Amino acid sequence: MRRRRLHGLLPRLLRALAVLLMVAWSAGPVLFVVTASFKQQLDIFAYPPKIVFRPTFDHYVTLWNTWDAFLPTLRNSLIVSVGATLLAVCVSFLGGYVYSRYYSRLLAASAVYMIAIRLLPPIVVTLPLFPVIDFLGLSDTYAVLILLYASFWVSLCTMVVKTFVDEIPKELDEAAFVDGATHLQTITKVILPLSLQGMMASGIFVFVYSWNEYLFALIFTTQHAKTAPLVISEVMDAIYGTDWGVLFAGVTIQLVPVVALVVLGQRLLVAGLTAGSVKG
Amino acid sequence: MKKLGPSALALLTPVHLLLFLAITLPSLFVFWMSLNESTYGVEATFVGLRNYAAVLTDPYFWRAAGNTFVVTNVVVYIEILIGLALALLFKSGLPFRKLMFAIVLMPYAVSEVVGVLAWKILMDPAHGAIGRTLADLGLALNWSASPTQGLVLVSIISVWQHLPFTFLLLYAGLLAIPLSVYEAANIDGASALQTFFRITLPLLVPTLLIVVIFRLIFAIRMFSEVWLLTKGGPARLTEVLSVYLYQGAFRNGDFGAAAATGWLMVVSSLAIAAFYLYQMQKRIAAENA
Repeated sequence: MRRRRLHGLLPRLLRALAVLLMVAWSAGPVLFVVTASFKQQLDIFAYPPKIVFRPTFDHYVTLWNTWDAFLPTLRNSLIVSVGATLLAVCVSFLGGYVYSRYYSRLLAASAVYMIAIRLLPPIVVTLPLFPVIDFLGLSDTYAVLILLYASFWVSLCTMVVKTFVDEIPKELDEAAFVDGATHLQTITKVILPLSLQGMMASGIFVFVYSWNEYLFALIFTTQHAKTAPLVISEVMDAIYGTDWGVLFAGVTIQLVPVVALVVLGQRLLVAGLTAGSVKG
Repeated sequence: MKKLGPSALALLTPVHLLLFLAITLPSLFVFWMSLNESTYGVEATFVGLRNYAAVLTDPYFWRAAGNTFVVTNVVVYIEILIGLALALLFKSGLPFRKLMFAIVLMPYAVSEVVGVLAWKILMDPAHGAIGRTLADLGLALNWSASPTQGLVLVSIISVWQHLPFTFLLLYAGLLAIPLSVYEAANIDGASALQTFFRITLPLLVPTLLIVVIFRLIFAIRMFSEVWLLTKGGPARLTEVLSVYLYQGAFRNGDFGAAAATGWLMVVSSLAIAAFYLYQMQKRIAAENA
């Protein structure tokens, strides 16, 4: 406390500046996109940027009326993200339970293998999968994206769930066994309700990733299963006459729910991240 | 702790099935592909190491490898510097801490596509708010014409996108340092700088190592930032390894050479990860002993 009083005006000013920079850096690009979607076409690229402006909803109306391709891709994104999240969370719950409650050399070795596998570059697996997926008729379907998104997250999610199950006292499962509960009953009635937090933390990672993913969507979808990030990238690269206002409106609709999810779930996210990567 | 039995193995099956079919098997199969020549609709023929020879003598490969090396390192170390500064700022106490935390996390929620779009427009030397200001100062970032400046913008976007991850890990590491150490230093009359260099930094080394390894591995696979911003151009000068691979496979249809590139990426990722995995293996083995 004594030290704080000794601090002059300059360090406090520097701190305030640092905080300001931090906010501008992190939130600036997001705010730019969101506000641009409410600006008149002429104001979007005004220089210096217009901070005060009369908001308009025209771009959203135009989006609804004319950009037919957008809303279906948003629906595709939702289906794929929910599907991948549910698949990854269910599978990781079962795995995480086993990694927490059982021991063996094989299990220890497979835990390291799971972590190692997660570190491989995703683009590499697209090479052999491309012809296989085509052969199976899975190309441009929800299934292929759901399977890939879930697969790339199950190892981290399993480890996250494991650390949460580790916190549940083993006496609880033993008591259930003694009371005559079957293995399955113990898992669903005792472990499941107590590891919901871990499952939710894992779920947020998978959902955010699947909602935003670009590479797999670019390679494995062409039309029916095309996701929102893909269609946004196509419009942004159109050489002639991108309607920026409408594009920003679309981007805002894609952006806001997932930013809200991250902001609201930040406590779970932090718990999951530290459990998953620092501790193991 | 129970011994692994059939019912537990059954519960493990789904996780390992997904991992095996979607990642392990394809990653290994890439090695086999790299020894063959194949393209769309043509039977593969075994060519031994010829694909590797072709890739390793291709100047574009070396350009992409060099770009990846430079961008990856620049991005990771800048991120760690900023992330550490932010973590210290948060630890020293901030007004509206929760709100600030949410703001710092925000880029994590943003799709790479949207991140590139926002930065591309903001930095545009003719129309963007930041780009025009920089141009007025004589610092215009001409990312579509100059490869170096293109990679600078790629690095900026990449740092922006991944800073939340780096920050969170560093902040968690910082909070794990026991307060008593700081109290002792305070009693001994250590200055703020001394405390940082003699206590905080040394105790943060394990966390820093994990952050460096994780971020290097995730930066090596960088694709979207480059593909969406420059498509690897002008004249393939801003390509990174993933973009080089994508061009080779999905644009030129040369799966053999792309697979060779892919296998080189797998090996280098695992080489960077080796130390971390070794530590992990020791710890997990100790837990299961």
